[in-house]
Amino acid sequence: MTDPAIAPERPSRRPVRARWWDRRPETLPYPRGPLPPPEGPPRVPAHDARRCDGQGACERACPTQAIRLVPERSGGRGELTLDYGRCVLCGLCIDACPTGAMTATSRIELATTDRADLQMVHPLGAGPGPVPAPSSLGPAVRTLVQERFQGSLAVRVVDAGSCNGCEVEVQALTWPTYDLERLGIHIVASPRHADALLVTGPVTRAMRHALIQTWVSMPRPRMVLAVGACGISGGPFRNSGEVLGGAASVVPVDVFVPGCPPRPEALLYGFWVALGKAEPRLSRGEYRGV
Amino acid sequence: MTPPGSEGGEPPRTAGAACGLPSPTLEPHREAELVQGLPGGPARWDPSDQLWVLSPEPRGWAGTVEQAAGTLPVRLASIWAEPDAGDGVILNAVLLARSPAHGIRVCSRLAPEARSLPSLAAVLPAATDFEREVAEEYAVEFTGTPDPRPLRAYAARTSGRRPASAPAAYPFPKVEGEGIHEIAVGPVHAGVIEPGHFRFQVVGEQVLDLEIQLGYTYKGTEALWVGQRPEDGLLWAESISGDHSVAGAVAYAQAVEAAQGLPVPAAAEAARGLLLEVERYAFHIGTVAGIALDVGYARGAAAGYRLRQRAHRCLDRLTGSRLGRGAVAVGGLRRPLTTAPAAVLVAELQSMSDGAIQIWEDLEAVASVVDRVRGTGEVSPAIARALQLVGPTGRASGIDHDVRRDRPYGIYRSWAVRVPTEARGDVEARLRLYALEAAEAGRLAARWVESASAAPGVGRIAPELRTEGAAHGLGVVESPRGEWLVRTVQDARGRLVRVHVREPSFLNWRALKYAARRAIVPDFPLCNKSFNLSYSGFDR
Repeated sequence: MTDPAIAPERPSRRPVRARWWDRRPETLPYPRGPLPPPEGPPRVPAHDARRCDGQGACERACPTQAIRLVPERSGGRGELTLDYGRCVLCGLCIDACPTGAMTATSRIELATTDRADLQMVHPLGAGPGPVPAPSSLGPAVRTLVQERFQGSLAVRVVDAGSCNGCEVEVQALTWPTYDLERLGIHIVASPRHADALLVTGPVTRAMRHALIQTWVSMPRPRMVLAVGACGISGGPFRNSGEVLGGAASVVPVDVFVPGCPPRPEALLYGFWVALGKAEPRLSRGEYRGV
Repeated sequence: MTPPGSEGGEPPRTAGAACGLPSPTLEPHREAELVQGLPGGPARWDPSDQLWVLSPEPRGWAGTVEQAAGTLPVRLASIWAEPDAGDGVILNAVLLARSPAHGIRVCSRLAPEARSLPSLAAVLPAATDFEREVAEEYAVEFTGTPDPRPLRAYAARTSGRRPASAPAAYPFPKVEGEGIHEIAVGPVHAGVIEPGHFRFQVVGEQVLDLEIQLGYTYKGTEALWVGQRPEDGLLWAESISGDHSVAGAVAYAQAVEAAQGLPVPAAAEAARGLLLEVERYAFHIGTVAGIALDVGYARGAAAGYRLRQRAHRCLDRLTGSRLGRGAVAVGGLRRPLTTAPAAVLVAELQSMSDGAIQIWEDLEAVASVVDRVRGTGEVSPAIARALQLVGPTGRASGIDHDVRRDRPYGIYRSWAVRVPTEARGDVEARLRLYALEAAEAGRLAARWVESASAAPGVGRIAPELRTEGAAHGLGVVESPRGEWLVRTVQDARGRLVRVHVREPSFLNWRALKYAARRAIVPDFPLCNKSFNLSYSGFDR
């Protein structure tokens, strides 16, 4: 309630009363609770090698070269690689596929600790390829997280030239719906206070120096999350001479969170992977889970 | 300050209408007469752009633009250069009028050996950054320019591009005197925002001057379009400014459709309008929440962000993307929107619209909020006019301009959009407009759900519709930040040779300097948030 003595000179209107936003629960239980069901149409591509005709319509349709088809050679099977680190979820490959091998899914938990795990490699004609053991955080990082941070994480965010789509979703983590701080994860103002560096954008030439300086200013041990298709691979801008093509071209990256932009739930999962609280679901060859 | 109309019954009162700028309308036949009287003629009519074209000699280019701006009620929308068929470049300035009049494009061909001409910025301040950009990208020299520094200084230095006339260093203006000091901020800021470098000249807490150096997010996006088929270019149009993905895509699609003479089905126009308005709602209500956060009113911020979350959920439900990406196609829509069940969506949008009004009423009743926003960061109508500000920022300073009403496109041709204005140009004026426009956006979106539901997916351009031969088009859209302009040029094979994108932030960034000059340092974040400009949209 406002003090009439300091209120501006204007007639006071009706008092502030409880409104709808005071009554409904808002914050999602995820990632401690279940993943909320998808609301919109699915947009994340998945490939079924058994139905693939190997003609490469998807490869030609992809604007970011996320799909690579190695055709059949004498003595060897062809194979198709779908790189979630480059995928911008445009769905052009799904529209272009004549056989229904490329389908849309609602996968959200795609973050990995190994860049290569984002690349799904499918030998053509076979079913899903062999599933190697999932990679996990290196022992040094795991120790760091569990012993030194006690499961808590202070994050410094650097935009290294993004379109600001990733900033919308990173900011959304602080909204009541996602409420990042309930998980012990804080976005901090200075790299000196940060355990982790979250990098968005394809790393422009002009941001290279600033990004390195931010990383250098962080106390050790430290980790880096590369966020979005741009932060992982340069995304839509990877063919521009003005960008370096992702955070890993400048600083060592520990966790990769794909998407264009990644949904807030995908970012929460990325933090969960960074904290060692979730094993990555995606590993070379297949996605384990929903 | 009047409270907005409640429950969406009465139209919001336009406090600034009486003191805002008159927007004289011009009959098309009168426009044709006036245009023929300008230098650089005879003017010819360009049916693709729907503009009059004047082609003066390069040394007369600036004079022609100046005279056109003085003779007709037009505003400078953009300046760009594009390669011609040979080895020269064509310098373009576009001046847009309010419907039913059209506007003028002033173009001059610059031969490779004669890329020097008088500066327009010397007489028209809004032209300054455009000229800096043309100078940087095409090595054109503008003699007498008030600001010869490269536009994207750091990017220009690191990639070896530098305009011939520019000094190697980037001198920042310095205020000297007792007790005056400089605060340098960025490019990395203390928050989840984009990079840019600010230098404040400060005495005590009072900001005397602010210099903004951008270019840190320069990705060379316009060059990526060159050589592509027009229908493949939407990916980059959506990545100019991520929170304006739909507006960027629609503006680009309109430019290509104008170039190709492609009709867009009415239902697809309604669907585009629906997406544009939900995007506007998300941006505007997010800005309101951001202002509440910056003044330390956590409750208002939480309420605003909950509303913004609902808007992103709507976009997600409609398109599968929380930013509405991948929904728009050249010629219509990529796929039908999933609007069912329509009644639920209409109720949700209407409730969001009401929520915007409630938040405004809530903020206006809290003295600590009003104390921070009232009179803070003023941009006078005179400065707003000189810099040709667009969008809510311009409307808060008395510029009565909205593309949806003044150059209607798509579904806006058949709908009257309420355009509230303010005259005081402070944070409170901008805050009020964001809230009112968010309420209007929710209301419009709710009305269009039904017609948008009928929109089929159109996909790619059918081969029989593809125009053979060189073509060019212009797309102009009212994005949440204001007028967004896209120019596309394609060659005889139908491939793009030039795409120019002028995001609204490009015009509005300069005004922040003037808002800051009247503020104290702790109020600068508030000013910045009330402008909510895109760094990436400026840099591209």
